[in-house]
Amino acid sequence: MSEQSRSVHELVEPSGREAVLRCRGLTKRYGEFAAVDGITFSLERGTITGFLGPNGAGKTTTLRLLLGLAEPTAGDAHVFGRRYRELDQPVRRVGAVLESGDFHPARNGRDHLRALALAAGLPLGRVEDVLELVELSAAAKRRVKTYSLGMRQRLGLAAALLGDPELLILDEPANGLDPAGVRWLRTFLQTFAARGRTVLVSSHLLAEVAQTVDQVLIIHHGRLLASGRLDELTHDRRSLEDVYLELTAGEAS
Amino acid sequence: MTGQLRAELLKQRSTQTTLFLFLAMFGLVAFAVAMHVVALGAESISTRSDQLAVFQVGTRAGMLFAGLVGAIAITAEIRYGTIRPTFLVTPRRGTVIAAKLAVSAVVGIIFGLLAEGVMVAAATVAFAARGIDNQLSGDYLQLLAGGAAAAALWAAIGVGVGALVRNQVGAVVGLCVWMLLVESTSESFVPGVGRLMPGGAGLSLAGNVDELSAAVAALLLVLYAAATSAAGWLATLSRDIA
Repeated sequence: MSEQSRSVHELVEPSGREAVLRCRGLTKRYGEFAAVDGITFSLERGTITGFLGPNGAGKTTTLRLLLGLAEPTAGDAHVFGRRYRELDQPVRRVGAVLESGDFHPARNGRDHLRALALAAGLPLGRVEDVLELVELSAAAKRRVKTYSLGMRQRLGLAAALLGDPELLILDEPANGLDPAGVRWLRTFLQTFAARGRTVLVSSHLLAEVAQTVDQVLIIHHGRLLASGRLDELTHDRRSLEDVYLELTAGEAS
Repeated sequence: MTGQLRAELLKQRSTQTTLFLFLAMFGLVAFAVAMHVVALGAESISTRSDQLAVFQVGTRAGMLFAGLVGAIAITAEIRYGTIRPTFLVTPRRGTVIAAKLAVSAVVGIIFGLLAEGVMVAAATVAFAARGIDNQLSGDYLQLLAGGAAAAALWAAIGVGVGALVRNQVGAVVGLCVWMLLVESTSESFVPGVGRLMPGGAGLSLAGNVDELSAAVAALLLVLYAAATSAAGWLATLSRDIA
């Protein structure tokens, strides 16, 4: 942990409650370079957490470690008390979108979702449900290469929602969305969290984050610089942007 | 596992890649038939072994394109990033590789049967048209069954190579260069080695050449397929996904 951290209070769960997500000393090194350097935090049920940091700060690497796509060099990450790769039916607990472009351009939206639903053992009716939810039913037969960036974002979200998960992990979900799409996403996430579910969302759009999230994690150079409730970090009429720029500038190499 | 197999089958069907590979193979075999059976003098395709040798093109094309099907089954996911949602849904990556091996092998069988079938049908018609005595009717069963088995095993080799190489262009070019350059050069210049290679063994298995017994050829190909897919499996389990 950084000694320069301000208001780092690790969100340790009260005893007896299972943390939705918890990492301890999570570290990923590539040779000498530490992409993620001893990150510790946990998420409470029913919250939306913004995961902030400059490009290359280690956000996506952290998410890959959480989701079992990469192995940590040290430390561990647990979702619902277990490593992601040890969850029985992970899509029923965790839905995640890492990049907006994870589609075969020649496959249509419906078949993309069907392949995932079949692999997850979910009924194919779920595919139609999530297509409707993200308002892509009319475009479901079109190949993904004809989709706009916003449509790809929504198709990715649809894939993450197939298993009706309790935890959503989204990497830059607002990229490419038009203002109506951004508002739709914000409302969707707030409704999702209001039902006792949990969201971890990385973003560069600080103004949008400030409207949506309950708490923030700020990382830079792979280290967690701040974590806590948004209203605690932005007391004294300071905006999230002020806090963010002050923290990340202070850490610039 | 049923769901995994259905998912992999849908991935094969839902892009036009498989159809494109099939058409390319069909074109190649048809072209080769035209070149060999029509252009070669009657005296060089009159004996049974000459005719079997001419039929090599069908076996080779079946093996190569089945290998490409297997390689693309894994490298297309890496290339387009669908490997991420795939492994998020199924974090036990070995299951995904197993399903890809099974489905690619089935597609490989179909490719092998089609390649040999096109070759046999076209050559039979061409022999009849030119009044050349067809010596092969007793060999059709081994051509079809051996060619299909060789293609299925090459599909598994393709999955293994694809999982190891990961880069789609690299895997596709590598398989083509191996089959079209390394194999044929070795068979011409060092036949003792060439006949033991995956392509050479496939030719023996389909009965195009009789360098190895079908049983030895089958065993060799099974070993190649097992070794490459095991290596690809281990690499997929241990490596990080970008």
